[in-house]
Amino acid sequence: MDISRREFTKFGCRVIIGAAAGTAIIESIVTNSSASENSPAGEYDWNEHYWGYVVDTRKCIGCGRCANACKLENDVPFDEPVYRTWVERYRTLKDGEVKIDSPNGSIDGFIDDIPAEDIKKAFYVPKICNHCDNPPCVQVCPVGATYETRDGVVLVDYDYCIGCRYCIQGCPYGARYFNSEKKTADKCTWCYHRITKGLLPACVQACPVGARKFGDLKDPDSIINKILDEERINVLKPDLGTKPKVYYIGLDREVR
Amino acid sequence: MQPHLKRAFTLLALVIIAFIFVRALVVPASFGQYGWYRGDSVEDTRNRPVEYAGSISCGEENCHKIIYSVWAKDRHKTVNCETCHGPSEKHVGNVRIMPPPANDSRDFCGLCHFKRAARPANFPQIDPETHNKLKCTYCHSPHKPWFI
Repeated sequence: MDISRREFTKFGCRVIIGAAAGTAIIESIVTNSSASENSPAGEYDWNEHYWGYVVDTRKCIGCGRCANACKLENDVPFDEPVYRTWVERYRTLKDGEVKIDSPNGSIDGFIDDIPAEDIKKAFYVPKICNHCDNPPCVQVCPVGATYETRDGVVLVDYDYCIGCRYCIQGCPYGARYFNSEKKTADKCTWCYHRITKGLLPACVQACPVGARKFGDLKDPDSIINKILDEERINVLKPDLGTKPKVYYIGLDREVR
Repeated sequence: MQPHLKRAFTLLALVIIAFIFVRALVVPASFGQYGWYRGDSVEDTRNRPVEYAGSISCGEENCHKIIYSVWAKDRHKTVNCETCHGPSEKHVGNVRIMPPPANDSRDFCGLCHFKRAARPANFPQIDPETHNKLKCTYCHSPHKPWFI
C-alpha cells in the first residue's frame, strides 16, 4: 500500500472529526436536550429534599396497622399476598433455631403458635423498600421504567413498565412485587403523592407506637437527623453496597 | 470513491435516518427530561389520590373537636384516628361520604393488646385466656383508655 504519511494523517483526521461530529448530531437529536435541573411543576421542589426513613424495631408491637394502611392508601390488591410494607416476626428458640414468619404480611396480626417457655428471644421487624441510593432494581430495568428521583425516592413508571419482573429478582430485600391488576412491577413509593404535599407516608401515620419515622435528610432539624445523630443505627445488608435510606434501630444480627 | 463503497455508505446513512425517525416516534416526549426515565411519570405518581387525611383534619374544624381534645390528652394519642376508623380523606372532603364504622371487636383491640411473646415487655398487654371475655369497649373507652 503506497500512501504518504501526510495523506494518511489527513484521512485519519477527517475520519475522526467526521465520526465525532456525526455522533454529536445523532446524540443531540436522540436525547431530550439533556437532563434538566428543574423540578416537575408545582410548589414542591425536589431539589430541596432528600428523604429518609427510620424503623425502631424495639418499639414495634406487630399489630400490622402499617401494612393495612399501606394497602388501602396505595390500592395494593388487598386479598393477594403482595405487600409494599410488612412486619416480620423473628423468634429464636431455646434450641438455637431461628423462626421467621410474616402471616399475611402481619395485616391480621400474629398468633403465638410456639409456647412462650420455648422461646429465648422474640421481636418484630418492619420491612419496607429501602429506597437505596444505589438501587439494583433501577440498574436492571431494561426500559427505564424505574428510577430514583432527585429527592431520593425509587419510583416505577406504570405506563412504561413492560412487566418483565427483572427488578423483582434484582431487589435483595424482596421489596418489589408483581401487581396483577396493573400487570406491572410495583413497590413502595414512600407515599410520594403524600410526602410531596407535606403529609407523612400512610404507614408512618398509622403506626400506633411511633416505630416508624420519616423525614428530610437535608433538613438538619428533622426527626430523622436527630435520630441518626443520637441513636446507634444500621441498615439491612450493608455489605451489598446498595446504600439503603431506611435506617434501623436495634437491628439483630439474625435480621436479613 | 469506489461505487460499492458509495452504495454501502448510502445504505448506512438511510439506516441511521430511519433509526432516528422511528426513535422519535416511539420514545415519549418527556423521556430523558430528568434522567433515563419518563419525566411525566413523576407527576403521575404524585397525582395519586390521598386516602388518609391525618388526625388533625378531624380536630381542626369544629367537626370532632370534643372527642379530639379527649383523645389528644390521653394514652391513645399516639394512635392516629384513622388507624381504627379507617381512611377518611373522602369524608373530610364531603361529610356525606361516611367512612366504615370503627372496628370495636375484641380481636381488633387484641392486634395491639393481646399478650404476644415478640412484643416489648413494657407494652400494655392482656392475656386473652384469663382476661374478662366481654367486648373491650364495655369497660375501656378507646379514646381515653385508662378511664374505666
